Amino acid sequence: MFEWLENTSVALWVGESLWAYPIMLSMHVIGLAIVVGILSMVDFKLLGGFKGIRVGSFLPLVKFAWIGFLINAVSGVFLFTSQATYFVSSTVFLTKLGCIFIGAILTKVMQGKLVAAEAAGTADDVAMKGLAIFSLLLWLVAITAGRLTAYI
Amino acid sequence: MEAFAQSIEGGIVYTWVTSIYWLWPLMETLHFIGLSLLLGGLIVIDTRMAGFFRGVNVAATHKLLPWVFIGFGINLTTGVLFFFGDPMRYAVNWGFQVKMVLVVIAGLNALWFWVRLNKDMHSWEPNADTPGEAKVVAWISLVAWTGVLLFGRLIPYVGTG
Repeated sequence: MFEWLENTSVALWVGESLWAYPIMLSMHVIGLAIVVGILSMVDFKLLGGFKGIRVGSFLPLVKFAWIGFLINAVSGVFLFTSQATYFVSSTVFLTKLGCIFIGAILTKVMQGKLVAAEAAGTADDVAMKGLAIFSLLLWLVAITAGRLTAYI
Repeated sequence: MEAFAQSIEGGIVYTWVTSIYWLWPLMETLHFIGLSLLLGGLIVIDTRMAGFFRGVNVAATHKLLPWVFIGFGINLTTGVLFFFGDPMRYAVNWGFQVKMVLVVIAGLNALWFWVRLNKDMHSWEPNADTPGEAKVVAWISLVAWTGVLLFGRLIPYVGTG
């Protein structure tokens, strides 16, 4: 199946076109900055930082982070197709994918809790330090594993 | 630039960076973590200063600045070591050159904010629209840093001579 994927016209375009692969990589790092950048700031807020900013006021930014997630899902699929058989057999790549999968679910869960707390007017007292640390760790491992995919 | 790059090759830092095989991937990982902190903080600060996300107290966004500086510090350090580890490649690379010009533009833009707007910011309505000049600074910052990411990522693919 992954061999078939590697030989689709999309995969060949990404692999052989002069600009497709680098442009997809650039999109991927911009998406990374949006996702991990915003979510890490939300996590730091939940850990007690940034006095003067309401926790609930960060919720629209979390929505924006999902746009970054979309950019990376799309660019990531393009990048994946060009070397599908390699990626699917790479432990570090699968570790990265696992972290992102859990990270996305965790973000959805945290977002849901915050939306409910904001509606109840208790967002600033919400106790989510454990989840915030878990979130930071997942993105840290995802970035590390992603970078090491190029080496291992 | 090339003469400077040549003078680095064979030097003590060059030898150190190139002699430890795991140092380069470690520094790349740190560079990505640094960019996440730098851009994370700036996206919040600049999008708010551009007039979006008005629920966020505009002056209070500057509480995020320490993370921006930590991210910048990590990336300046790892970035200088990258350059010292492979000077001839970076010196002639137009992706790198454009990236550096954009970092300088972003720095001058931050200076513009510091000189002209920083003091006034505390008198802005916390949850209202921002002045036009603030919006210009915010957009220049967002575009410049996005360009830094874009051209930085293109370095391995362009102008290696």
